[in-house]
This record gives sequence, C-alpha cells and structure tokens, in this order.
Amino acid sequence: METDVLIIGAGPAGLNSAYEIASNGVQTVIVDESFFPGGQLKQQTQYFNNLPRQFEAQRGITLAETLANRLHSLPVTMLHKHTMIGVYKDGSIGVSNGESTFPIKAKKVIVTTGAAEETCLFPGWTLPGVMTVGAAQILMNRERVLPGKNAIILGCNSFSQEVAQQLKDCGVNILGIIEKNTSLGRESRERLHSDIPLLLNSYITRAMGRGEVEKVFINHNGSEQEWRADLICIGNGLSPILEPFEILDCSFTNKEKLGGLLPGYDSNFKTENSSVYVAGNAAGITCMGGVLLTAEIAAADVLRHLGVLNREDAARQTTYLWKELLRIETQTDSEVFYARVASIQEFHEKNNIPLPTSFHAILEEC
Amino acid sequence: MDKSTIVCRCEEINIDEIETAIKMGASTFDDIKRLTRCGMGPCQSKVCMNLVRELLSENLGKPLKEIPPSRMRMPLKITRLGSLVGKESSNNVLSVFSESSLEEGEQQNE
Amino acid sequence: MNKHYDIVIIGSGVIGSSIAYHLSERKEKDILVVDKGFPLSGTSGSTQAWVWVHNKTPSWYGELSMYSAELYPFLGKKIGDVEYKRTGGIAPFFNESEREKALKLAEAQAEVGIKVEVLNREQVLEKEPALSPSIAGATYSDIDGNVNPFRLVELYIKAAQKNHVQFAFYNPVLDIKKEKGLFKIFTKKEEPVTAEKVIIAGGPWTKEIGEMLGVHIPVKQVRGQIIVTEPLAPFLTHTIGGMRQAENGEVLIGYSKEEVGYDRRTTLDVIQETASMAENYVPALARANVVRSFAGIRVIPEDGFPIVGTIPGVHNAFIATMHSGITLSPLIGTLMSELLMEGETSIDLGRLSLRRFMKASEKV
Repeated sequence: METDVLIIGAGPAGLNSAYEIASNGVQTVIVDESFFPGGQLKQQTQYFNNLPRQFEAQRGITLAETLANRLHSLPVTMLHKHTMIGVYKDGSIGVSNGESTFPIKAKKVIVTTGAAEETCLFPGWTLPGVMTVGAAQILMNRERVLPGKNAIILGCNSFSQEVAQQLKDCGVNILGIIEKNTSLGRESRERLHSDIPLLLNSYITRAMGRGEVEKVFINHNGSEQEWRADLICIGNGLSPILEPFEILDCSFTNKEKLGGLLPGYDSNFKTENSSVYVAGNAAGITCMGGVLLTAEIAAADVLRHLGVLNREDAARQTTYLWKELLRIETQTDSEVFYARVASIQEFHEKNNIPLPTSFHAILEEC
Repeated sequence: MDKSTIVCRCEEINIDEIETAIKMGASTFDDIKRLTRCGMGPCQSKVCMNLVRELLSENLGKPLKEIPPSRMRMPLKITRLGSLVGKESSNNVLSVFSESSLEEGEQQNE
Repeated sequence: MNKHYDIVIIGSGVIGSSIAYHLSERKEKDILVVDKGFPLSGTSGSTQAWVWVHNKTPSWYGELSMYSAELYPFLGKKIGDVEYKRTGGIAPFFNESEREKALKLAEAQAEVGIKVEVLNREQVLEKEPALSPSIAGATYSDIDGNVNPFRLVELYIKAAQKNHVQFAFYNPVLDIKKEKGLFKIFTKKEEPVTAEKVIIAGGPWTKEIGEMLGVHIPVKQVRGQIIVTEPLAPFLTHTIGGMRQAENGEVLIGYSKEEVGYDRRTTLDVIQETASMAENYVPALARANVVRSFAGIRVIPEDGFPIVGTIPGVHNAFIATMHSGITLSPLIGTLMSELLMEGETSIDLGRLSLRRFMKASEKV
C-alpha cells in the first residue's frame, strides 16, 4: 500500500492532523488498533473547555465524534483494527491486521500514538483491585462495570480528580485521595471537591488481601493508618509511548514536565528521522488543546514538504499555531509549554539546525 | 519498601533481584533484563520500564534522566506468528543443513 | 605507578569470561578483564545458544566442537547450573536429493567419532512429532544441545571473581602501547594499567583492538535476527537447526546472516522471513504469538574458522576470536589457559593460528 501521508493512531492528534492534511486533497491513511476512531477520547466524559478556536467546548466522547465525522468526505483511508508492528529496511511501516502483515509506504509519517499511564510501586500493587485511573474510567464508561465499592485514589492530578468525581457520581465510596506532595499545583487546587477527602504528605505502605485488595495501609504525615478498601486507582500521570519512535530511529530526550522520556523534535514536530513527525501526547503530555494544536503544527510542515503549502503560507500558519499553543498550554500549565520550548531548542542545538525566525517571537514570550 | 515487592509482573521479578543485579554493576534497564529476565515477558517492559529506571536512579544516585530507556523491539505488539509469515525472500534466512558444506569452511551454526 | 596485572583480557563475553575463569582455576595470577559494556550486552547475550556439533565441517572442526560439547557437563559441576541440555540436534532437509549430502556428512563425521544419523521422514517425525511432514529427512546427533547463555556468562564471571579475577565493565579500551616489554592499556574510565600478557577476546570488535597492536585480524561482523514466542507448553524436545524451545517454554527461532556492520536493529523483512521458516519447519507455530525479536552481531573470521593462539610478531599477545563461541567456550578457555600457563596446548592449535592469514613476508 502507498500513500502520501500515514498517520499512526486515530486519537485526537491523529484525527486532527488527518483533517488538516486531507482537507488539502492529500491522500492520507490512518492506522488504528481499535474498532472505532477517537483513541482515549472514546471513554473520556470530562469536559474540555480550553480547545483551539475552531472547536466548541465539549466532552471527550463528543469530541471524538466531531473529529472523526469531519473526515468523511476527505481522501482518508481509515484502517481500523490495524496495528503498526514494525519497520522494513526501506522505511515502510509494517502493519498487521491480525491475519497478515504488510508494508505501507508513505512520503511522511505522523506518529500520534499518545501516552501510557504510569503505575506506582508498593507492596501489593499487583493484587486484583489495583488499577490505573484510566482503567477505572474504561470500566465505567465503556464496559459499564463499577470497579469497586470503597476506593482509594493514589495521586492528585486533574485526571485522577476527574475519575474520583466520576466514581463518586456512580455511587463508589471514595475514602480519599492520597498525595505524596505536601502542597498542590494551582490546577489541582481549583478542582478540589470538598466532599472528597484529600490526604497530603501521604503514601500507601502496603495493600493486602486474600486474592484481592481488602485492606490498605496509609502513611499520613508519618503515622500509619489502616483502611478497608477494595479498589485502589493509581493516578501517577502519563508518559509518552516510545516504541514506534525507537524503531523509526528517532532520538529521545527527557523532560519531567512533559512526562519523562519523549522523542526529540524540532519546532515543526519533525523528529530526527526527517520523514517522521510526532504530535499529541506522544510529543509530551499536555492538555487536550495542546494535543490538537501540536497535530496542526506537524500537519502544516508536512504540507509544506509535500509542496501543498508554500513556505510563506506555512510559516504564517505555524506562527499562528504556536501562539495558540502558547496561549492554551500556559493557561493550563505554563511549565509544560516552557519544557516543550526548551526541548525544541536543545534539539535544534544538538542537530545544528537554526531555529526558524518565526520561532524567535515565541522564545521572547517565554 | 519490602524487597520482595514485585516490579516486573510478567516475569515476577522483585526489588531484591533487581538490586542484586545493580550491585553486580548493572546500570541500565537492559543490563538488569539480561541478568534477571525483568521486562522480557509479554508486556515487553511497557509496565515496569520506568519503575526499574527509578530503582536504578535511587540505587546509583543518578538523576532519572540519565537512566536510558530499554531497547524496544519489533513486533511492537504481540503478533501471531502465522500473521507475520511473509511472501518475500531475500536469502538472508538460511537452512542449517544446507550449510554443512564438506568442501570448505564458513560454518557458523550456533 | 600504573596498576600492574599478569594478564589483561579484553572482552567479557563468553570467550573472554571463559578464559578468565579457566586461567583463574590454575594458578594465582593477577588477572583483569575489561569490557566496553556490561556482560551479555553484546554477542553472547543475543544468541540462541546452541551447543552444536554434528554438521560443523570439515570434520576436524566438528571434532573440536565435539570436545567442547563433551566438557559442558563438567563445567556445570564446577561453575554452577548453566542449564546445559544435551537434547540431540536435528537439521532438517526438504528435498530427497539432499540425502546424499547427508550421508556423506555422516560418513565424514564418523571418522572423527561424531555419530551422525541420517533420518527419513518417519524417523524425524517419530523423534520430533511437531516437525512438518513436508520434511524429507534430517541429520541427527545425540551430541548437540543448548545452554542458557545468560547463566553461562554470568557464572563464568562469578566463578572467576571468586578466584580473584578483577572485572571492569563499561570501560572501553582506547589504546594499547608496548613499553619496556609490558603492555600499557589505556581505558576510558580508569588510569592506564600495565600487563605482561594481553588476550584479545573482543568478539565483533576484534579488528579494532587488533589495530591497536598493529595487527590485522580479518573478521567480519554478521548480523543474525531471532524471534521469540510467548511461553508454550513443552513440545520441542530437540535442538532444531533453526530453533529451540527454552526451559521457560519460549521458542527462539531464526538463522539469518546479513553483513550490515555493527547494526543491531531488527527488520521486519527478516522477521517475516523467519516466521515463514518457522511455519515451514513446525506448522503449529503459526498459532503461537511472537513477543519480541532481537539481533546479535556475530564475529566471523574470514575463512569461517576460529582464530586462537599467539599473535605472531607481538610477543605475549594472544587472540581468541570465533563464531560459535557458546559451543567452543569450555574448550577454548581450557586451551588458552594451557597456552598461557604452560606455553603449549593439549590439542594442537596450529590450524587456528592467525598466521594462516598472513602473507609469507609477514610471518615471523
């Protein structure tokens, strides 16, 4: 199979970059491992109100539909239930549908494989009843199953708070949110619900039970307490999925604020492999607005390289998009934006590529 | 923390086994993997990679960012062998029997 | 003052570690092993680890491999359980026309005492029912088997450490100079050390280390790719030319060669070809899941045979480089320790000398 642009992953970043590219008449293939497009949005009931201007504020579930429906009349081939499993010597991407494995040759590849949840080590973390907050949300919203009756949430961040609230709304008794830090970031403070107990300076010392979680020992301010719980939801943050980038010969960098290890990329989200771009959470953990905008920046550069956009138009578009990204990311967490800019500067320095002049304006804003 | 706490659930490798490898001089995820099988199971270190990196960071007193990731290999997802079977042949894959040439060397089965 | 050793071994793979261990068993000597990486990070950690004898040809090479295989049961008793299993080895062929070649092999190997049987289809399937009925026949020998390469190298090192051998990992050798009859070895991490004797056991990096001594060592780097299945209930009892089932149930499959330099990436091209090979040999494997692949870089001397012994022209410098290091490590460790301690070996190493590659003018 051959195409102009291949996109790996039909989450928000993949769908948004597909729209930007295919609406210019460019042949696009999207590979996605599930039955339906949308990625993690498919079970995200949370409300996103900080999106790029062309989108109305909406819940994740409807945003998935919005993004997918826009592609209907465009030259996009959606390969559902297909997984990127490898790379051929000539650079073609190897895709498997479970029956056979075949190459897709593309002029440009945008990898939007998103992020994975991090777990947390404590004795008993492998017991049934311990899961990530994302897994708890999938159980509720997709499988329509309550993950437990008495829950402890480990880690206080926007996602874990969201899921805690949703669990509560579904009738789960939330014993508390356990947070190792002694204070919270602004965003988490704003989200605090008075009816969910929060324990700062706390961690789980052990979870025990016969075959599943029954009791949990918490160290709070240095003293231990025993709680009866059957569910521990770990909200230890996300980290970019790295595997596709490694086998595509991309370099890695490390930025704690962006979720730890991530592929290195330039100011257009192009990686060290010049035919491979990255966007969305794979390019560093960010808010939904950031996910969508990074996809548009990558798409603009792809269009320029394919000769669809001329240099000036691409630069104008990219400058606008970077300003939007600055606005949206700094509204949520400015440190994410600064870490991103720092990683881009380092990438340009390391590879001896001058930063485009349009990017200097962004640097000045920082 | 209890040293018998499992870190790699696929291969059931605990903290103690990982720290023993570190004492032998292991300083990357892959060093530990080869000594203990940590990360070699079905999930291919997707769950334990950062847990092990953190243990390395603590034990070696090195910042986490200096601990490299594990080497990630194809296939990126578990794949049925039958669905991998290819039609192409490049003569890179050989038969051991056909190499038992009696005339001259080049005999490298292992 | 530089730290001084009697012997410095460059390379802590299966060969370097085996030599270190075997030397340390003989006499108390100050021995240092330096390695650019960590044990098993190179070739010795990326192999199916067959202990393979029966179709190593010509027969003198098979004989050498047999002697080494015969040492394995004793090795386990000395250094610990290396999970050596003498499973018997089957090398299938698919065309009846290949039977003649198989019979000739059996005849030639019999002369040196390697018992090779030529099996027909029924005999193959009786021995290993999972093999494909489209196989025409196979050569077979009891002497072949496999070992756990991770345990093997780890236990060589631990046994050597117990005998006071020093190891320095993550410490590439940058240069070697000869000063006042001693070798001065410059490494990345530590002060230079001096040594009376130096042994090159650098595997795929042998050529580069040879150059530090001004010696050309003609070896090639040849990549092999292997795919690994999920653990399966035990169903392959023999080592098959091309695959084996490990103790934990995983099946390791692959026999490929590519000259691509020191590039340890796997490629989907070869993975797919390897999957085809697996299905042709063992049809039931089509239903197994593949969890990973890996690649190793073999070192292959230009004529295919080991280079072992003294380095002509450089007094007190030695070399041990070969493909099939897993099979040969017990024997090479033994012979090299004889050579260094006594100056002669119980098996003549003349055939394996580096001298065979030298022009008449270079031979000293």
